Amino acid sequence: MKSNDGIGTRESQYAALWPRAPRQAKVKPLAKRLDTLEGKKIAWLWDYVFRGNEVFEQLEATLGARYPGMTFVNWGEFGNTHGSDERAVVAALPAKLKAMGVDAVVSGMGC
Amino acid sequence: MILAKATSVGQGFPNIQVAPVPGHPGLQSKEVLQKNILETTAAKVIDNLLTLPAQTVVGVEPGARDIVCSGSFEEVNEYFLAHELSDGLPIVPPTVEKVGEFLRYTDRDANEVLGVLLPDNRSATVWSVAVNGVMAGCRPEYMPVLIAAVEAMADHDYGVEHSGNTPGGENLIVLNGPIIKELGFNYTQGVMRDGFQANTTVGRFWRLYLRNVAGFLPHKNDKATFGNTWRVVVAENEDVIRKIGWPPNCAEFGFPLGTNALAVGRYTGGNHISSVSGATPEALLPYMADAVVKQYSWQIMFSVGQGLDTLRPLLLLSPILAETIAAGGWSKQKLKEALFAQARIPAHQFERILRDWTQKPTWNLAEEHLAGRIPVVFHESDDMNRMVPLVWRPEDFMIVVTGDLGRNSCYVFAHNGVLGFPVGKEIKLPRGWAPPRKS
Repeated sequence: MKSNDGIGTRESQYAALWPRAPRQAKVKPLAKRLDTLEGKKIAWLWDYVFRGNEVFEQLEATLGARYPGMTFVNWGEFGNTHGSDERAVVAALPAKLKAMGVDAVVSGMGC
Repeated sequence: MILAKATSVGQGFPNIQVAPVPGHPGLQSKEVLQKNILETTAAKVIDNLLTLPAQTVVGVEPGARDIVCSGSFEEVNEYFLAHELSDGLPIVPPTVEKVGEFLRYTDRDANEVLGVLLPDNRSATVWSVAVNGVMAGCRPEYMPVLIAAVEAMADHDYGVEHSGNTPGGENLIVLNGPIIKELGFNYTQGVMRDGFQANTTVGRFWRLYLRNVAGFLPHKNDKATFGNTWRVVVAENEDVIRKIGWPPNCAEFGFPLGTNALAVGRYTGGNHISSVSGATPEALLPYMADAVVKQYSWQIMFSVGQGLDTLRPLLLLSPILAETIAAGGWSKQKLKEALFAQARIPAHQFERILRDWTQKPTWNLAEEHLAGRIPVVFHESDDMNRMVPLVWRPEDFMIVVTGDLGRNSCYVFAHNGVLGFPVGKEIKLPRGWAPPRKS
């Protein structure tokens, strides 16, 4: 406590605690990237907003034209990643992606 | 881009790559959208698939019990503002001594983890509940309520990870039990007005905890277009519901009358409905049902569309309104059934709203029903003028009796569906709990 007796006030001092809590997720390395897109299978994941269906359709056309051997798995194979059953949809992804032989995933749409 | 960057840290991938679509797809013609994808998005998608970005180093943070600032009241507040640890109002400096006072009102270990909150992925510890409770201006004896609130926040069904979404809905905590009177919560006139310490500070605590532990900061993880200020806690008038024989709101979650419990849901807005007049429930119903319908537009997609069966409209009834309905022989369940039957819109309007919102070109309730995705009540005929409900069943409505004892009003909240689905938690009091003085 320090006092300012001259004007009859006392200014308190406080040692304030950190109000957050430690993060539980440690930094993880990203997956290895593809050496080429030729012959690779790409899956689209969609949260059913922001016209992702059109965006993916256009991307598929563009990438498919540039890399004729590329194949794609439609977002409809996985379900809505932002709907009422999103937890189940996301939990099922690893097994589905493995079973389908997917090489990489593009997930959208954010805003 | 900003959201992806902020969210990815909590997921453990601070260097995750994104491919932007310039502008907002919702406001672009098909041609403009295609041009943007061709000229910008596609190249970035290709680059992201082929090139691994450099590892990002995440800064070191303080420890769970570290003192981060020492100084005067003003200096502490300046520090908390500068480090985005405050909501903009002055905070009570969270000192070890003050936190200790809060911890005396729980039997739980200070290190106990109540859940892990996205998007920051931080542990919701009893300790951090106390720290943020101090900051919000709560009294130490509110601690059992604060713990129950954070248990609700951590409940998967609530969906805290969606708290930064576009509509910027804000939560509402509804309180039941003897603790309402023991802690001095307002449950009568002006129940949603600030000015009552318990209601106000517990409401503020929720938003501070969302900010500091879940990690929802405006311009970062909180992407509310407009947003709302936090709502004060609404306590139910249990004197009245005892008198009319209606179950309390907490019964929705399995807690009988007399239980200390709270419920939390998230709402994008609401409206006060004045002068609900009539001597019988039948006379009162049309005005109330109309008020419900007018609160729901795009939110119906939580019934059918983006969500399925996750819409729970909430109505606050003033005591004399509830008493008049009960005097007409209606139970709360009967009122829910009547609202379900009357708060309806034409099928063609329902489908048009879904199309407008989702931009999916075709929405067909009949098709959804025949595919087994929605109940028959949405497709009782092929008449496009048939009236369809907003929700799947009468029980989806939630009704709370509170507010001014002498006014005939109701308040209808627009629910945010799966992005803040109502959950209820019991408020567990510590051994030796003695009702403290009322505020």
